[in-house]
Amino acid sequence: MSSSLDKLLRNPRVWKGRSLLQQKAGLSSGYPELDRHLPGGGWPPEALTEILTEQYGIGELRLLMPALARLSAEEAQPDYSEPGWIAWVAPPFQPYPPALQQCGIDLSRMLIVRPRDASEILWSAEQALSSGTCAAVMFWPETLDDQASRRLQLAAEKGHSWAIAFRPMAARQQPSAAALRLELHADGQGTRVHILKSRGGRPTVINNLL
Amino acid sequence: MSRAWKSPVTAREADPSASQQALPFLEPAPLVKPLAPTRVPRLWLCIWLPGLPLEACRRSGGATAIVEEQQGIHRVLLADAKARAAGIMAGQSANAALALLPTLELEERSRPREQQALEALAGWLERFSSFVCIAGHDMLLLELAGSVRLFGGLRELREKISKGLRQQGFAALMAIAPTPLGATWLARAGRRVCIRDEQNLGKALRDLPLASLDWPQGLRESLGGMGVTTVGDCLRLPREGFVRRFGAEHMLMLDRALGYLPDPRHSWRAPERFCADYEMTEEQSDRELLLNICGELLCSHEKFLQARQLGTQRLCFSFFHLKGPATELRLGCARADRSAERWLALLRIRFEQLVLSEPVIAVRLRSGVTQALQAESVRLQFHDAGGGQRRRYSVAQLAERLVARIGDQAVHSTSMVAEHRPHYAWRAQSLLSDWTSTTLSEVGRHLRRPLWMLPEPALLPADSGYPLHQGCRLRLLEGPERLETGWWDEDGISRDYYMAINPAGMRLWIFRNRQRCPAWYLHGYFG
Repeated sequence: MSSSLDKLLRNPRVWKGRSLLQQKAGLSSGYPELDRHLPGGGWPPEALTEILTEQYGIGELRLLMPALARLSAEEAQPDYSEPGWIAWVAPPFQPYPPALQQCGIDLSRMLIVRPRDASEILWSAEQALSSGTCAAVMFWPETLDDQASRRLQLAAEKGHSWAIAFRPMAARQQPSAAALRLELHADGQGTRVHILKSRGGRPTVINNLL
Repeated sequence: MSRAWKSPVTAREADPSASQQALPFLEPAPLVKPLAPTRVPRLWLCIWLPGLPLEACRRSGGATAIVEEQQGIHRVLLADAKARAAGIMAGQSANAALALLPTLELEERSRPREQQALEALAGWLERFSSFVCIAGHDMLLLELAGSVRLFGGLRELREKISKGLRQQGFAALMAIAPTPLGATWLARAGRRVCIRDEQNLGKALRDLPLASLDWPQGLRESLGGMGVTTVGDCLRLPREGFVRRFGAEHMLMLDRALGYLPDPRHSWRAPERFCADYEMTEEQSDRELLLNICGELLCSHEKFLQARQLGTQRLCFSFFHLKGPATELRLGCARADRSAERWLALLRIRFEQLVLSEPVIAVRLRSGVTQALQAESVRLQFHDAGGGQRRRYSVAQLAERLVARIGDQAVHSTSMVAEHRPHYAWRAQSLLSDWTSTTLSEVGRHLRRPLWMLPEPALLPADSGYPLHQGCRLRLLEGPERLETGWWDEDGISRDYYMAINPAGMRLWIFRNRQRCPAWYLHGYFG
């Protein structure tokens, strides 16, 4: 019985859903409720995450801060590589260093890039992702089509980096190669996180996370 | 002479009271200092390159002659062996030479090219001696006494140099003598001699015909008219009379050649900065070809810096056009580097964006200030082959690539400044200039600060004293936090900061100005 089941599972035509990705542990988000809904128990490492928001200031950065702080605190490796750099590509405002430090981010390993146009944003993000020195790359693209998101997903895999794209809500209908897509809604009470797509997981809504 | 100079000192030393008073460094310097008795013997090798105009030009292999304009007529200056076999001689007019051999290639003499070749040779000769001197437009001098032992004897050293010169295609006449001028004259006379001892120098020089000295034609003729044809004849003339008639200059030259007078020379120094041109025979606009040329220049740049154990942080390419000013392209990197491969990768990024208005005729590469290279630590790869591939390049390299494409101002890091005024509490730091981070460790952990900061505070409209955002009234959550500081400069503030929330759930950092007009401003978002 079990041997025939094993045989069936070994067939390459059988798609195994979430079991495939379970070996890769996620990057704990610092929010237990969110971790519970994400496959691997956290943010997908070495992959593209998309966060869709209509406006800024509703907790989109606070959502990431615990994970980023942990990445940035990573010690230098014995092979003299410099891990834990966090790149900000085309942020809409100035990331404010005193607040970042309060969140536990190592300011000496922050790289802020302000490209001049849409294609340079994608190019810079891809360079930073595939360089292998940035633990996380956050970027605010003007446009991000399916092909570009696939490129960035590959760059993130190549450089073992975590890519986070912040996009407007209008991008919801566009296809994307991202491993995880989240939607943030805020009202006076709190912020609601809606998992639109999660590779190896299920779409859900988490209320009042932040 | 030596005794005469010493005697006043010994006389003073004999008087004990005088020696106690006079400190040794207060002694007046003697007016004429004689040569030290134990003088280090010098050996000068002179390399004369009579065929330099021909050897400096690139030849295709056919019969070639160098022509130079003399009084409006192009005359043959030098002809190579094939041309000489066809009967072409120096002094012929270019037309006569072409009539003798229609396939003859005529090249205009180019002095800058000769100088370049001479400097390249001087650079090569620096491996044999620490003192190389360019003594004329076709002559090099080397001080050999210090190198003889290292190279295993004078004969071996001389062999090495002449073999190297032959391999580089130069036919040289060489002579070795204890004085530079003596060696020069001997080489010009074609004497392949090696005189080690100063006593033998006089004898060898006396036989030289005056024609081998680079004295003016008129002087040689008038001396010849007097029956003076060799250096020895000159030396037999009474000194006073010779000086009166022909000037002291030539008498002093004879003294220098014989070693009676010192003959200091300037040592040639290789330039510390790289500058090389690549000239094309015709205009080119093929970008791939231009990139290859730049790659070639970068390779020679790497060799240049490698020989000096240096690197550079800045490079400048100039693309010359026949019409109009040259297009310049500047490159920079975070750490001093010389690797052609790394520079080429940076160049590729910038070259994509470079607009060349016209075809290019020549490319020049100039390096910036050179500096000693810092060693970069990398991991020894014994067991973890996968780990080696993981880090492709360092942050410095990433920043270089970004800067190369986007520009210097667009890539930066940040650091904190100990300052209460929120907009002064941080600073952008260039990644390429300094890597020292001056991050303050524990500053105001208890204070609420937004993650997003607006570049300038934005004025909020108000409705009966309450601030509005996106048309809705804001609810104040926390505050006020009063910041009243900066009175010592012109940018003092006096503000009450609040954390506010709008009905859409955005958390804002707003303040009310307490000073002049009490208005509400938005200064940041809590992200």
